[in-house]
Amino acid sequence: MSEFTTSTKQLDGVSVINLKGFLDAHTAQVLEAAFTSLINDGKFNIVVNFKDLAYISSAGLGVFMAYIENIRDNNGDIKLVEMNEKVFNIFDLLGFPLLYQIFNNEEDAIKKFNEAKQSENAE
Amino acid sequence: MEDKENIKVKRNLSALVEFSRVINSSLDLGFILNNILLTCMGKFLASKCYIALKIEGNVELKAIKGFKADTAFPKIKIDNGPIDCNDLAKFNEENNIVLCDKIVSSNDCIGIFAISGKLNKHNYSEDDQEFLRTILNISATAIQNSIVLDELKVMNKLLDSRLHKISSLFELSKEFGMLSESKRVAKMLIYSVIGQFLISKFAVVTFDPLTGIRILESKYNDDDLKKALSKYDISGIHDPIFKAAIEEKYPKLALFGLELIVPMQIQGKTKGLMLLGGRMSDLEYTESDVEYIYSAGSIAIISLENRRLFKEEIEKQKMEEELEIARDIQKNLLPHQIPEFRNIEVAATNISSKQVGGDFYDIIPLSDHSFCAAIADVSGKGVPAALLMANLQAFLKIICKHGMQLVEATALINDLITENTMDGKFITYFWGIFDDNNRTFQYVNAGHNPPLLIRDGKITYLKKGGIILGVMKTFTPYLSETIQLEKDDVIVLFTDGITEAKNINDDEFSDEKLETLALNLSGFSPDRILEYIKESVQEFSVGTHQSDDITLMVLKLK
Repeated sequence: MSEFTTSTKQLDGVSVINLKGFLDAHTAQVLEAAFTSLINDGKFNIVVNFKDLAYISSAGLGVFMAYIENIRDNNGDIKLVEMNEKVFNIFDLLGFPLLYQIFNNEEDAIKKFNEAKQSENAE
Repeated sequence: MEDKENIKVKRNLSALVEFSRVINSSLDLGFILNNILLTCMGKFLASKCYIALKIEGNVELKAIKGFKADTAFPKIKIDNGPIDCNDLAKFNEENNIVLCDKIVSSNDCIGIFAISGKLNKHNYSEDDQEFLRTILNISATAIQNSIVLDELKVMNKLLDSRLHKISSLFELSKEFGMLSESKRVAKMLIYSVIGQFLISKFAVVTFDPLTGIRILESKYNDDDLKKALSKYDISGIHDPIFKAAIEEKYPKLALFGLELIVPMQIQGKTKGLMLLGGRMSDLEYTESDVEYIYSAGSIAIISLENRRLFKEEIEKQKMEEELEIARDIQKNLLPHQIPEFRNIEVAATNISSKQVGGDFYDIIPLSDHSFCAAIADVSGKGVPAALLMANLQAFLKIICKHGMQLVEATALINDLITENTMDGKFITYFWGIFDDNNRTFQYVNAGHNPPLLIRDGKITYLKKGGIILGVMKTFTPYLSETIQLEKDDVIVLFTDGITEAKNINDDEFSDEKLETLALNLSGFSPDRILEYIKESVQEFSVGTHQSDDITLMVLKLK
């Protein structure tokens, strides 16, 4: 069975999930668990870091679709960062860049969250 | 003067060479078009300029300078003839375009170039027009190349997407092959589909006539969805249904915002449905999308079905194992050893059919000179019959311990069995007490096949008794009979498993055959008689499946 792990850390009020290994139909439940646990804790501002992700299958992509609506309904978002070219190409092929913000690094994504928060507060 | 002309020609030439070098060094259409416009505008001091290209038969504005970004371009057609179009002429006039020419590559018109008047109010000279034509000729090839490249890119993306779909399907089939839990299969299926098409609302349901609708995965309220689904003959959905048809034919489902329903089929039978909401990218589902979803669904349903069958098989095996245990328990209820007596020899056997059965016999010593022999056949088969038989055996054991009289005891057993049975179950029952001291046999027959008493080559049927056990409480007392036994008397007790044993022609073994055998064999020992009868029944029914228990008891006076 292919190896896949996630680790989650908190940075400036944003949850950052690090993906490592092979995300496919078999390992999808590991990521599901990570999302579920954040949602249960009421943490809806999520950055997913793909730096250590070697492979993603369409079932793996499905996990992002399965949670996005719930997260956005709660004024949160999933932002994607540090994809390698292979992984980005798959996301691109399926049109994910239309629906998800993709950044080069965690800092930019976190900044975006915090900007949104500030403009909300200003309103 | 001539020198000035020369310098001008030289400058034009070097500009053309530079231009050619630049635009041929790139395959980026935007860059190429931009370069053409800027070059011409710079050369002619014009403030407005555009290029429109033929894309799939339509002419689209592809690059503009000095126009508003949302400038509407008229719908025009161009061919290889001269430009002759009122809409275009009007558009050009409104925008101060004074020069409009075709861009022609290998004799095909691929678009038009147009430019406004010069800011210095000069007209375009012959030379200017010549220069422009040269520019456009050089550009045509570069434009053509980059259009082809763009088309190739689109094709490539399409191919990539196909390839991705195929490899996704391949991966799914690999995963589904592992007989994962059905909820897991549904989840993998749906993830693969929603990831592929960016769908956020969905459900996977299966159904079969026995268990009804089962929702495996859903982003909707399960109860509401079930209710809506139950309004329609969903197993009759054999083809994918798109939004318009859902709204028309399945309005209750349309309320969930479904845009696509895809059946999951095995051998043309619809076993489940994938219900999908719209795509978040606002794209419509294409035929090839549906094809993918259908394929993924088919792989999944086969896996689900396999798993169901596998589970069923395991259940069956478990049930058989339990029945095996039940049979063992039942066997243990029958006497292990037949006690020995002074004046009488006893042999008994029970061959149970494949299922747990309802036959029963027992030999219970009552004192040092008497014993009770009993034989019974519980109606039906399987666990209910076996339980009732175990009940009877327990009653019998207790009654024998308390030394009750045969007639009263039979009435009591009947009452107890009647209280303990439902669904019209009953027991045919025969029992008797043999007294070894005075060689008497007192019996009661409660509806059992009459045992045979063979004496001097004649058969007497032991019929005295009453109603079968378990039908109604004892109303009229059972009758009993006491027989004074003589030396060499043989008593044969049996169940209908013997007389109704079938051969391959579906004939029964019959009472006659048993009686003839009993008469002919009465000279032998009980063991031999028993063996012979057993063997001839088994010989008779060779090639058939034993459907009933066979129980046989033979007593013989010394």
